[in-house]
Amino acid sequence: MGDFKLRPAFLFFLIIFVILFDMPAFAHKVTIFAWVEGETVYTQSKFSGGKRVKNSSVIVFDSDGNKLLEGKTDDNGEFSFTIPKQTALKVVLKASMGHMAEWKIPVEEINPEAVSNNSKPESDLKDSYETSSGSQTINSGTDLSVLSESHGISKQEIKKLIDESLDRKLSPIMNILADSYGGGPGLTEIIGGIGYIFGLVGVAMYFTSRRKRNHNSGS
Amino acid sequence: MHISEGVLSPAILTGGAALTAIGVGIGLKKIDYEEIPNIGILTSGFFVASLIHIPIGPASVHLVLNGMLGLILGWKAFPAILVGLALQALLFQFGGITTLGINTLNMAFPAVICYYLFGWGIKKSSGRIIFIITAFAAGCCAVLFAGILVGFSLYLNGDAFLPAAKLLVAAHLPVMLIEGVLTATCALFLRKVRPELLEGYYG
Repeated sequence: MGDFKLRPAFLFFLIIFVILFDMPAFAHKVTIFAWVEGETVYTQSKFSGGKRVKNSSVIVFDSDGNKLLEGKTDDNGEFSFTIPKQTALKVVLKASMGHMAEWKIPVEEINPEAVSNNSKPESDLKDSYETSSGSQTINSGTDLSVLSESHGISKQEIKKLIDESLDRKLSPIMNILADSYGGGPGLTEIIGGIGYIFGLVGVAMYFTSRRKRNHNSGS
Repeated sequence: MHISEGVLSPAILTGGAALTAIGVGIGLKKIDYEEIPNIGILTSGFFVASLIHIPIGPASVHLVLNGMLGLILGWKAFPAILVGLALQALLFQFGGITTLGINTLNMAFPAVICYYLFGWGIKKSSGRIIFIITAFAAGCCAVLFAGILVGFSLYLNGDAFLPAAKLLVAAHLPVMLIEGVLTATCALFLRKVRPELLEGYYG
């Protein structure tokens, strides 16, 4: 008889055990993470819980919502493409069974030069300098070009080299970021949710008990 | 099972929300004072069930438990599942707030169907075999119907119905079996320790 009573209780604890220990393998949300390296945009897609989203379509839109290109994720949930247009991009992942996620890449990441040229008043300064003392600027300008020519490296080339090496150095960090992005919910959320439900039960019981009491006193 | 935000068109979302509101209304009317803690516990179970990820099969799937809720709660599964899904959307970012209506409908309606289809078997008077079979079928079919409904929602949105539904059902086959076993186990457990929970609704 005691055995009979033990068995269901054991099963019940087993279920709780499974709930508590299965937590790293959470599911059910998709995320996409996209980053820029040089002229290429890399994306990584996964279900929450870390399972990669294989063979699902990734659609790229520009800032006005026009579709630029479409591709499929590979077995690692990755998809990369060269930047099709120098605007802000929106990368949308459409996984099967009604799952969708998106990631926005701001224009600064796509084309830092365009933004920095606009924001830096460098050229304006040069212009004003030029108008104030024309001959001098021409001289200094030629000096500069002579200087850079003698070294064989232009400003743009230096910038490009720095960008390239930065991309290379940062790529492991980007990979770590991509891996950590979109993890499953933690213990706080789970306990919090259960707490909410118990709270709601309390509220519901409060109101129904008041209704019952009113009903009883009324009748 | 959770449809993400931005997948479906507003017409389907509002339609789903309206039908869910009706279901929740019916469910709330049927709730008695004594049943509230019971509903709360089952809601918690539903809430955490979505975290139990089943690694078998082609896609990422998790337990739903809508069959168990339907079998024990009947129409009251609607408010229970609505609360569970709302918290899942807020805390886990599963599904979404705009898709709450259609997601609740897709999971709670099969629960109610299973309550009417298999509820007759969950009685003290019914034999052990019948009891186990009906409980298993309820757990199993609720997931199956939910998969078909999600496929149908995507079909209304312009996807082809058969491939979407086939994929959903295929991905959820292991879930169906596990939920069937789980529902049968829990129903047997309740029959032993708290038979009034099962009897109360079918007396």
